[in-house]
Amino acid sequence: MTATTSEPAGQTAKAKRDWLFVAVAVLATLLITGLVLIDQQPWSAALVIVGFGLGAAFFKAEFSFTASWRRFLLKGEAGGLLAILLMIALLAVAVVPVAATLPSFGGSIAPLGVSLVVGAFVFGIGMQLGNGCGSGTLYTVGGGSGRMLFTLAFFIVGSVLGSLSLPAFLNMGGIDPVLASDYLGPWGGLAATLVSIGIVALIVQQIAIRRGASATPRKSFLVGAVVIAALMIGAFIAGGHPWSVTFGYTVWGGKLAMLAGFDISQAEFWQWPGPKHALTDSVLGDTASLTDLGMIFGAMGAAAFSKPFAPGPWPPLKSLLAASIGGLLMGWGARLGFGCNIGAFVGGVASGSVHGWIWFAAALGGCTVGIKLRPWFGLSRD
Amino acid sequence: MRHVYAIVTLLALAGIFSDHITSPSIGRAVSPQDFAGACAPCGAPCPSKK
Repeated sequence: MTATTSEPAGQTAKAKRDWLFVAVAVLATLLITGLVLIDQQPWSAALVIVGFGLGAAFFKAEFSFTASWRRFLLKGEAGGLLAILLMIALLAVAVVPVAATLPSFGGSIAPLGVSLVVGAFVFGIGMQLGNGCGSGTLYTVGGGSGRMLFTLAFFIVGSVLGSLSLPAFLNMGGIDPVLASDYLGPWGGLAATLVSIGIVALIVQQIAIRRGASATPRKSFLVGAVVIAALMIGAFIAGGHPWSVTFGYTVWGGKLAMLAGFDISQAEFWQWPGPKHALTDSVLGDTASLTDLGMIFGAMGAAAFSKPFAPGPWPPLKSLLAASIGGLLMGWGARLGFGCNIGAFVGGVASGSVHGWIWFAAALGGCTVGIKLRPWFGLSRD
Repeated sequence: MRHVYAIVTLLALAGIFSDHITSPSIGRAVSPQDFAGACAPCGAPCPSKK
């Protein structure tokens, strides 16, 4: 019997902790939090801390939109998807009435049109090739996956390309956002939102039953959904809007492009007030970037606290190619589709905005294509 | 892979720090949705306003 196996489980776990990267995660979070606190921005610091919690929660619960959707599409397993819908319902209880009644808060809204459908569909393809969505990329990068470093890098590139394409797609036409609370008031809007989530949950459950698959979420996934919903409510309170991920990538990419000599500041997207401000202001002045950075370091801390950090070899070249293509497609699709699973689907539906459901349907369609493409890159279909 | 992670993390933190201290800081962090006329999380205008 080796010394390792004779040790109590607690001591073995302690021995595996990677204190160097735990320290890196904590110090990086303290540095970012300190920088915004020097500027007397406690809400910004709160966003970093909430992001840290989200990173740890996503990592510990292995909360994956990509895998949940794939299991549902391939096998009919609905547990993951139902836990996600529970999370959205919990978030909606806070977002719909508050966004409809307090002027300093707003929901996640977006116009309905070609751009939304095309963007979400392409995002769905990229999600399955990249093996993670916007939030999934953040917590797996933070968790020590070298493969996902490629996904993130190309997500950022795709996001900038998407920013240059978006105005042309918007010119193809569309209609203004449709928000339940605009028609039914705060509480009627909330009721309609919860009913719509309930109907989709029922459909998903019936599909699982008909296909003889499980419709019960794993306990860790269910706990994760509740914890993540609570943290997302925290992000909503601190940021004034539901948590969004991918605009942060666009800002990082825009700043890097400018640094590399590509003057994108005159492009139509970057002339809109929000993106224009984000390009010139500090990266820590953007709510999405604050939460994203916190999430990466939260996942890093959680990963390094439980096992040696990033110990494995690099994945095969074909897998890295899929990660890169997936990232590129997700970045481009997220800009055209007004976000990822978090910003468009979760945030949109939880705000009572119709675009969230359209995004979900289109991205689900894209996922079916992405799943078929996975074997081309040596990835398993399931 | 650990070395790559350490380098990427250091470069990212250096980039964040230098960007922050060289950029104008104008107060509370914002989202593009906070600006007038924004119709999406990225700040895109509403179709009716175009």
